[in-house]
Amino acid sequence: MPPVIDREKCLGCGVCADVCPLQVFSYHRDKDKVPEVKRPYECWHCNACVLDCRAHAIELRLPLTHMLLYVDADTLKPKDLPVR
Amino acid sequence: MIPLKEQHDADVAIIGGGIAGLMAAIAAADKGAKVVLLDKANTKRSGAGATGNDHFLCWIPEKHGDISVVYNEFMDSQNATSNDTPLVMRFLETSPKIVNMWNDWGINMKPTGDYHFEGHAYPGRPRIFLKYDGHNQKKVLTEQAKKRGVKILNHAPVLEMFRDNDGVTGVLALDVSGDEPSFIMVRSKAVVAATGYVSRLFTTDPTPSQMFNTNMCPSGTGDSIAQAWRIGTYLVNMEKTYRHAGPRFLARCGKATWIGVYRYPDGRPVGPFITKPNVETGDMTSDVWSSAFTDLKLSGRGPAYMDCSGASKEDLEHMRWAMKCEGLTALLDYMDKEGIDPGKHAVEFGQYEANLVTNGIEIDINGESNVRGLFAAGDMMGNISGDIGAAAVYGWIAGHHAADYQTRALPEAMPENAEERMAFYSAMYERKVGASWQEANFALQQIMTEYADCGPHRVRSDTMLTAGIKYLGDLRRKIETQMYATDAHELMRAAEVVNLLDLGQALMISARERKESRGRHIRSDYTFTNPLLRDKFLRVWKDGDEVKTEWRDRLI
Repeated sequence: MPPVIDREKCLGCGVCADVCPLQVFSYHRDKDKVPEVKRPYECWHCNACVLDCRAHAIELRLPLTHMLLYVDADTLKPKDLPVR
Repeated sequence: MIPLKEQHDADVAIIGGGIAGLMAAIAAADKGAKVVLLDKANTKRSGAGATGNDHFLCWIPEKHGDISVVYNEFMDSQNATSNDTPLVMRFLETSPKIVNMWNDWGINMKPTGDYHFEGHAYPGRPRIFLKYDGHNQKKVLTEQAKKRGVKILNHAPVLEMFRDNDGVTGVLALDVSGDEPSFIMVRSKAVVAATGYVSRLFTTDPTPSQMFNTNMCPSGTGDSIAQAWRIGTYLVNMEKTYRHAGPRFLARCGKATWIGVYRYPDGRPVGPFITKPNVETGDMTSDVWSSAFTDLKLSGRGPAYMDCSGASKEDLEHMRWAMKCEGLTALLDYMDKEGIDPGKHAVEFGQYEANLVTNGIEIDINGESNVRGLFAAGDMMGNISGDIGAAAVYGWIAGHHAADYQTRALPEAMPENAEERMAFYSAMYERKVGASWQEANFALQQIMTEYADCGPHRVRSDTMLTAGIKYLGDLRRKIETQMYATDAHELMRAAEVVNLLDLGQALMISARERKESRGRHIRSDYTFTNPLLRDKFLRVWKDGDEVKTEWRDRLI
């Protein structure tokens, strides 16, 4: 579920649904003031919704499939060997 | 039948409101043209530049001196193998003017107080990528277009382009602003095709289960390239598929924004360019040897890491700022939450699946295609690369010339095949069972990846491509009769798959015709690189139901 909306903070302005490049949200103001995250698998994780939400009500949750892989940089030793 | 609810008349219709499309709209409106721009999403946040960029390839005379300095570096940069020189020169000559315009409009092109070039560079050689702050670029360009009276139709993906014997006559679009789809018809005297970089044609390399984890925006599916193809427009360099590189597993562009060194697990640098982080150059390895990441993995000597730990505190702060300019705030937020600190942690990098960029519509020096009145600009130009810079500059050039068609008469009647095309899309919406767009898209990706993938370590051949072309035809018949959509959004995605199918076909036919190995195009049956084909571009187009190819010389 990539964008997570805080129902308490959401003002119901619908900006997130309007600016999302992928139409991840579906918004029917008459049914619910909070947009529905209808198509989470189409999220590009671009952060447009987070950046444009004036209530700061949205957080992006990266799925486990998208985890960054990293190691402690000190394990990459020695650093000063000649170029291969 | 889905209803036709809106009709518009325009001098210039623009497909796609990314950097190129918005710049085309601005230039055409400046010349007095009535402009209608259609975007799949919302131009404030759509496309590859949705949340920002930080490198703009350009020539600034007072910094570079002679234009040849920039030209020579450009031709040695990433993905520059498909460039016609006269177009590159026009792009570079026009670039100072566009950079100044952007700066005046409020996109900060001088974030350090002056024009400063850094990243995407070789040590000891001139630098050609202007460092800028593009975090607000889409909003600024949208405002500029609106100020000039451009009519922007958001949530309106174009489905088809139309032409008669005289040239292009307009476009058919879909209104996807609500659940119920409806059609929009735009009659126009000229069209600018600007739908950008093409994703979702090959299986997503980092995450095969996550189709939308792509380095560029996954709603970029080359729609206007395919629409142009269907009306007989020349495409060029379709076989020269590109593979970008970046962090793993989150696929994202912006590798040149990282200030570090690519290293083997034992700490040795992967590339020959730098041994310590260099803020002015970055590590050029990923630009010109992006296959390094795949090479290291398949040889068992990887993985490769981006190691910024040798960078100074100031450089790391600068990198963080630049990532915001580039629009990488989701990546930054994630690293902060997970406690990943580039000053202490090395992040694994990898190569992404094949995509189309600088594989597309062949344009002349004014941005016009072989179909009169049809222009193209941005990442989907087939014969000039150059990323954001070229998209901005050639967008502006294309819009400027498209506006010259103002004096032409509007086409009187509806295009003769409009009804047939509306019926085609309506049938998908009326069908109640069948294949979802996701199923069709995955089926296409598996054929493309199995039969037409590009290197490293993947080969193409006459027999494999011939089989692939046959299978694509089989899949096409199934998709055309079985794919269905339950709402406007799904119908948009289904239309994207139809477009990707056309691009796959054009790519495979071109790849079969290039009987040599060159760069990422590796032929097992023609393993050598033929010097006679070095400066030859392959054109491919549809003549009725027949597909034709033709070689031409690269313009020097």
